[in-house]
Formats: sequence, C-alpha cells, structure tokens
Amino acid sequence: MQTSADERLLRAVAEQLKLPLLQIARAAELATTTGNTAQLETMSYIADTALRLIDGFLLSAEYGGQESLTLVPVSISSVLQDTAHKLMPLARQNNCDIEINLSGKYGPVMAHQESLESAFTLLGYSLIEARPAEGHRHEVILGAHRSASGLVAGVFDNQPGLSTDMFRRGRALYGTARQTLPTVSGANGAGVFVADSLLKAMAAPLHLARHNKLAGLAVTLHPSNQLQLV
Amino acid sequence: MNVLLIEPDYMLGTIYKEALEHAGHTVTWRQNAQSAVHATDTSTPDVIVLELQLPRHSGVEFLYEFRSYPEWQEIPIILHTLVPEQALQDRQKQFEPLGVTQYLYKPMTSLQQLVRAVNEAVPLLA
Repeated sequence: MQTSADERLLRAVAEQLKLPLLQIARAAELATTTGNTAQLETMSYIADTALRLIDGFLLSAEYGGQESLTLVPVSISSVLQDTAHKLMPLARQNNCDIEINLSGKYGPVMAHQESLESAFTLLGYSLIEARPAEGHRHEVILGAHRSASGLVAGVFDNQPGLSTDMFRRGRALYGTARQTLPTVSGANGAGVFVADSLLKAMAAPLHLARHNKLAGLAVTLHPSNQLQLV
Repeated sequence: MNVLLIEPDYMLGTIYKEALEHAGHTVTWRQNAQSAVHATDTSTPDVIVLELQLPRHSGVEFLYEFRSYPEWQEIPIILHTLVPEQALQDRQKQFEPLGVTQYLYKPMTSLQQLVRAVNEAVPLLA
C-alpha cells in the first residue's frame, strides 16, 4: 500500500469515528441536562463498535492485507447471533429492524472468530448508519446460505443499492480520491474497508452477494474438513 | 420558537430534538432535504438548523432550493454540520447570499451552544 493510500485510510477511519464519539458525547450531555439515561446502554455498544473499528484498523495496518490469522473451526450461526445481539441496540436506536436468517443448519467453518465478528459488526453498523432516508423501514439481515464454493455469510439489507454503494466506498479507499462532502453522513467506507482487511487476513475477501433476494456484503467460508470427518 | 431541524442521523436527531424541546422550542425534525422543504410548506419555521451532509440532495442543494422561494428569504439558517470550516472555505462566497446566520462545527458544539445559537438566531436577523 502506498503512503498516500495509508493517509487516506487513516483519515477515513478518523472521520468515521467522529460520528460515534459525537453520539456518545451528546447523549452524555443530554443525560446530564435532562436526566434521561435511556441511551446509556446504546452508548456502550456504540463505544464497543468504535473500538472494533480502531482494533480492526490497527490489525489491518499491521498485517497489510496478508493472510495472517490462524483459522479454527467456528460456528457461523453463533457468530451471527452474537453480532445481531451487539447490533440490536444500535439498530433500535436508528429505527432499523435486524434479523437473522439461516437457510439450514451448518457445520463449523474455518475462520478467526473474533475477526469475523468484528467484520460483521462493522458491516452491519455501516449499513445501519448509512440508512438513506426517513419514511422507509430499514431492515438489516444477518444471513448465511450454501453455495458451490462454500458457505456464504454476510450482512444484507432492503435498501436497493446501499450495500453496493458501501462496498464501492470501502474499495475506493484503496486508491481513488475521497469526497470532500460525502452525501451520506457517517458512511465514508472506512468500516467496510477495515472489515474487508480483516476478512482478507482470513483469506476470505469481502464480496457482493444476494441472500433471499436481498443484496449485501458477504464472505465465502470453507467448511472445517477435520470436524466433518469426526 | 418553531425550529426545523434537518439532521440525517437518527440518534443525533433524537438527541438534538430533545435538547431543543427541553429548552422550550417546538421542533420539527426531518432527515433529508426534500421532506424538509415539505415540512416548511406545511408549517413555516422561525429558524432552521441544517446539516450539510444529507442523503440524496445535499444541504447546499437544500439552501439553493429553499432560498428560491420569496416567502422564505428571511428565515435564519444555522449550519450545524460535520463538515469542517476549512472544507467550506471555497464555498464561503456561495453561502454569503444564501443567508446563513451562523456556522457551528458539530463535533465542537455542545447542546447548550446549539440551544444558545437557536435562541439568538431570530434577534440576530431582525
């Protein structure tokens, strides 16, 4: 990666962190002013997501997109359940529905559990935050299905073109110029870029996919052969 | 005072709305430019708080559209945005004739400062 691309990514991550920090700061101020502490739980999840973005960025900076993580058998349904649990308060706060959709039962896949969870959390958060407009209920689906090349798992939503746009923004950080006045608040693609880097470190790059007619961002994982033989 | 808040982020919109209402204002909150124009059509606000980074049509487009109606020329507009002042310098000349009363950089503006800016917006223009 060239220095200019590093700088661009660092800037995008910093910009992406502005929104969660701003939300935490203002919610804390509101709680002090009005005594309304209803958002405290959400604040902790927002802080957790921001920390995942920082951790993911540091990890991707350290390994530079190399396949470097040790893969172990992981239950995809439990990863998706845990991710949905983490995203639920953020989704609720953003007037968004979140669901899990697994088309069948799956054996373990080879992955790095923590990085996979971080990647899905960042992708989910990016889609939730990039919700384009009011008046249209946004649904984010954490889903998995089998394909000829492996188990496709990812984050999908009902807003046409949104995931494609997020993917493009994430990939744009590899090379092209950034926008000075992005059209969607808090969605400059840094979360998608970091998720992509984490998945690449598992030798499973992010790609566009469809799940039950919904478009989204997904990864193709390979079954754990060792456990299948047992 | 009737405040039209144009804030795309759901969580921040909820927070700003509650803070302004707590300060005694009536707040209409919209998340995009088009519905903000419709809201103004229904009930004319005394002041507008505007984020420039909006989905579909930007806040700049909203400003041009909004000021093109003669009856809305005098409504004060406060820019309350994530876009740093530095990034807006090239656009300063663009904003001058559009009647932007005040610029507030969102990350550095407390709820108290926002409320104060809204309270002062109408006397400032009068």
